[in-house]
Amino acid sequence: MSNTDLSNIEVNQKPVAKRSNPFANVFNELVSFCRSRSMFMLHYCTGCGAIELPPAMTSRFDMERLGIQPMVTPRQADILLITGYVSIKTLKRVILTYEQMGAPKYVIGICSCTVNGGMYWQSYATAKKLDEYIPVDLYIAGCMPRPEAVIEGLQQLMAKIKTDEANSWKKYYEHYDYYLGNQQHLFGNNWQTPTDIIGEAKTYQLEGPNTLGEHTKILESVQRPLEPLEMKL
Amino acid sequence: MQVTLLTIMEVILMPIVAFIIGLFMVLMMRKLAARLQRRVGPPLFQPLFDIVKLYGKQTQISHGMIHDIGIIMAVGGYVAAEALLPVPGMDGIAAKGGLITLAYLTMVPSLGLALGVGQCANPNGSIGISRALTSMLAYDIPFIIVIFGVAYQFSSTNLVDIIATQQAGGFSTWGISEMPVLAVAGLFAMHASLGKQPFEIYIAPAEIATGPMVEMGGKFLGGLFVMQSFQLYTASVLYVSLFLGGGENWITFLLKSFGVLAIPVVIAYLFPRYRTDDLVRLVWKWPVMLALIGIAFVMN
Ligand code: SF4
Repeated sequence: MSNTDLSNIEVNQKPVAKRSNPFANVFNELVSFCRSRSMFMLHYCTGCGAIELPPAMTSRFDMERLGIQPMVTPRQADILLITGYVSIKTLKRVILTYEQMGAPKYVIGICSCTVNGGMYWQSYATAKKLDEYIPVDLYIAGCMPRPEAVIEGLQQLMAKIKTDEANSWKKYYEHYDYYLGNQQHLFGNNWQTPTDIIGEAKTYQLEGPNTLGEHTKILESVQRPLEPLEMKL
Repeated sequence: MQVTLLTIMEVILMPIVAFIIGLFMVLMMRKLAARLQRRVGPPLFQPLFDIVKLYGKQTQISHGMIHDIGIIMAVGGYVAAEALLPVPGMDGIAAKGGLITLAYLTMVPSLGLALGVGQCANPNGSIGISRALTSMLAYDIPFIIVIFGVAYQFSSTNLVDIIATQQAGGFSTWGISEMPVLAVAGLFAMHASLGKQPFEIYIAPAEIATGPMVEMGGKFLGGLFVMQSFQLYTASVLYVSLFLGGGENWITFLLKSFGVLAIPVVIAYLFPRYRTDDLVRLVWKWPVMLALIGIAFVMN
């Protein structure tokens, strides 16, 4: 595992250059506002905290009045809710899903288990801190947090999105080497995903000094190009 | 054929008006669903927020040119259809197009979607689109019979004439009082064409992960949201023009079209969905039978 602890490193916030055209600024603000008022969350739940989501979505607490609705595939979604402990096998799927979501994307860790392993601290099969593997925007602690807490957390995320502060998805590109290193530590050096993160980082111009490193070198040496699946009846 | 400046302006204006009304129809649909489930429901501008957000996403994953063209066809088919649907004060090119063209144009979006989804190469998407085309095959038969019956009754395929005849004679000459059986069959076909429960076979989120929408993100999904608002508008306004005498003015027009749309929406959120083969069997049996009986009444 790499030794640097990323939890305190902030995304290097380039001061967003105010564009000279006032209409462009208005437009940017409109888009951020709409982003905060329309969040599609992925229908993917891990662990026991998922039990608190149906009451948060249905008649008692009704998330739709905040513009939050469930969506089915990662391509359509904006927020990924990790609702509890992630076993190592689940973590692979979480990372695959996370990488396929379209930017800007937000991750919320619900439950104590995502913060520090919670009551699964001694388990050999559970990932302890979620933000060693993917960047997390917001944690909602509790074992398990009640729907009020979940909605409160989502409202905090909305406030962060509205002011353009929820930028953790950029952290994944800027510090890809760190996240990849931790993933390789758990899954072995053969670990690769179908998404080309380094290429995406270049596209978004988010490639920083920490994007490439020793772990991405390992990835390059083992990476196989994707092949189409064999068709069988 | 004389194209005046006024016509051109109407052709541009009508889809915009349709889009705005369509957004409110989406809102009404979601609000009604929320009320039926005893929820509060989304705020007033939610459909707009969704669309702006989707177009503003940073990642826009296209699967190739046909994917892009497919979405353009899906939206464009409806945009063209709106210019053929008269609204109070604006006829656009309705008098030149007529019902038959309109019926063709409303099929274009499904075909465009089929093209676009085909290139995504996602098995869920392909299953979804094959179901969508199957259900189109199912509901188009009663739909065409109904259109034929209406055209026979008013001896015209020109929507402007049809609306004018109905408005001149008052309620007793409305399509719904002249041919009630056809009107019921038409409502049935319209409900099936909206793709809402119990005819929701091609979206089926829990089964095939929203079918055609499965690989769509960002502006592609946004395009489908725009298409949905056009779809609701087209279906309800077409029904209002055929059976409820169109709109004498904007107030009655809006009342009628929102009212007509509320019927299938309320039914939709009370039911689960059919299997594909059940849907085809059901739609080819009841609405077709009703439509044929209706035609027999019209023709005697
Ligand atoms: S914090 Fe508690 S409720 Fe949540 S996943 Fe862990 S054990 Fe389950």
